[in-house]
Amino acid sequence: MHPVSAVMEETITVTQLNTRVKGILGTAREVNDLWVAGEVSNFKRYQSGHSYFTLKDAGSELRCVLFRADAARIGFELTDSLEVALFGSIDLYVERGSYQFIARTARRGGRGDLYARLEELKARLRAEGLFDASRKRPLPLYPKTVGIVTSPSGAAIHDMVVTAGRRFPADLLLAPAKVQGEGAAESIAAGIALLDRAGVDVIIVGRGGGSAEDLWAFNEEVVVRAIAASTVPTVSAVGHESDFTLADLVADVRAATPTAAAEIVLADRHDLSRRADGCLVRAGAAVERTLLRMRARFGRADTSLSPRRAAELVAMRSLEADRLSDRLDAVLRDRVVRMRGRYTAAASMLERAARDLVPIRASRLEAAAGRLDALSPYEVLGRGYGMVVDAHGRALTSAASIGRGETIAVRMRDGTVDAEVKDVRSR
Amino acid sequence: MNGKKKIEEMGFEESMTALEAMVKRLEAGGLDLDESLGIYEEAIALRDHCRRILEESERRVQTIAENAAGTAVREDLDLNV
Repeated sequence: MHPVSAVMEETITVTQLNTRVKGILGTAREVNDLWVAGEVSNFKRYQSGHSYFTLKDAGSELRCVLFRADAARIGFELTDSLEVALFGSIDLYVERGSYQFIARTARRGGRGDLYARLEELKARLRAEGLFDASRKRPLPLYPKTVGIVTSPSGAAIHDMVVTAGRRFPADLLLAPAKVQGEGAAESIAAGIALLDRAGVDVIIVGRGGGSAEDLWAFNEEVVVRAIAASTVPTVSAVGHESDFTLADLVADVRAATPTAAAEIVLADRHDLSRRADGCLVRAGAAVERTLLRMRARFGRADTSLSPRRAAELVAMRSLEADRLSDRLDAVLRDRVVRMRGRYTAAASMLERAARDLVPIRASRLEAAAGRLDALSPYEVLGRGYGMVVDAHGRALTSAASIGRGETIAVRMRDGTVDAEVKDVRSR
Repeated sequence: MNGKKKIEEMGFEESMTALEAMVKRLEAGGLDLDESLGIYEEAIALRDHCRRILEESERRVQTIAENAAGTAVREDLDLNV
């Protein structure tokens, strides 16, 4: 496309262009919310209270504005030839078509000083081992009291109280602290020590979002050392996800935000409830396995005791076991207490039944043994009797010759059943 | 329960630990049915206790500060949340 036709397509006014540039500058991350350091010159404060000056370094100059409200917050006077760092954003003055830096806060000493100090401190504390991964402690799973060091009036405490209300129930104990400005670091450090002495289970230290300047207290050595000295685990929650301070490096756990900190410290109530329920489901399944095992054992014992009625007895017992199993299901659903009584009754009934059967069987076996002289044992077996033999295959004719726990075998017409003697009662 | 604390006096962590230990015992097997049911009964009581703690606990939100005498003083915090 020819350049002229592009011009033909859109012709705008100077105001429109400057306004457009202002819009671009206003949204460009590179020139907004940043620190810039240099030397103050041509400082002039007007009647309105707003100040205008130039910030310069060896190679360049920047026109700056400091509005009255912001000037009041700085805590020191800007004067010519002072080295400072200013925090603020670039803005375009549409009428003049020139840009300027709107300073919102300032620090003495300029960039070199401030950041060099931070880097030096970071290196020193790291060398001491304060940021070591090996120092990180696990957080308590179910804290009774959560200590919080933050401003009593900010969004952070509000967010944390609201979030905690939905989580595992714990008391919250707030040590109100000044989180920015003069004395903030000391206030935060004192709050940490106070909560530590008060016996909380975990401490959250933080504040809501703000400028790097607002968060600066969390880079101060006194705060870092207070966190490191805490005898209870600590969680840092300073600003937003993208903010990183020395407090984050030293804390046992770093949370991206105060809300996230409350969620990290306090588990989800429903998850915990589900976990407890899960335990019960597993316990129920284990009880059921025990029941099935016992049913299988009962079944085998019955067969060995009375081959003739074995099938019938087994059927009867499994019926009982099924009933017990049904009852167990009811137990799983509701209360076990009542069921347990019933089960105990059923179990003793089983025991009684087994006990009563032994003498009856013994007499039958004796009668059968008497006839063995005359009849072929195999013919007898064909009529539904069993031959009881010991481990060596010798026929057993008397209950007295069988001991509890011994292994015996019952020979039947079509096979042999191995059995273990549960009990022996002589007539 | 084996001469230990009453369930009502147990904290959440203690209850949960006891509950998990019971599951392990049951799953290890080797218990007769009566013992199993006894443990299961206790497990139900513990689960119910855990639920009560989760659902019915009162939470306090307080501030703590040192007064001029250096004594830590606690006050209820009302954030209207």
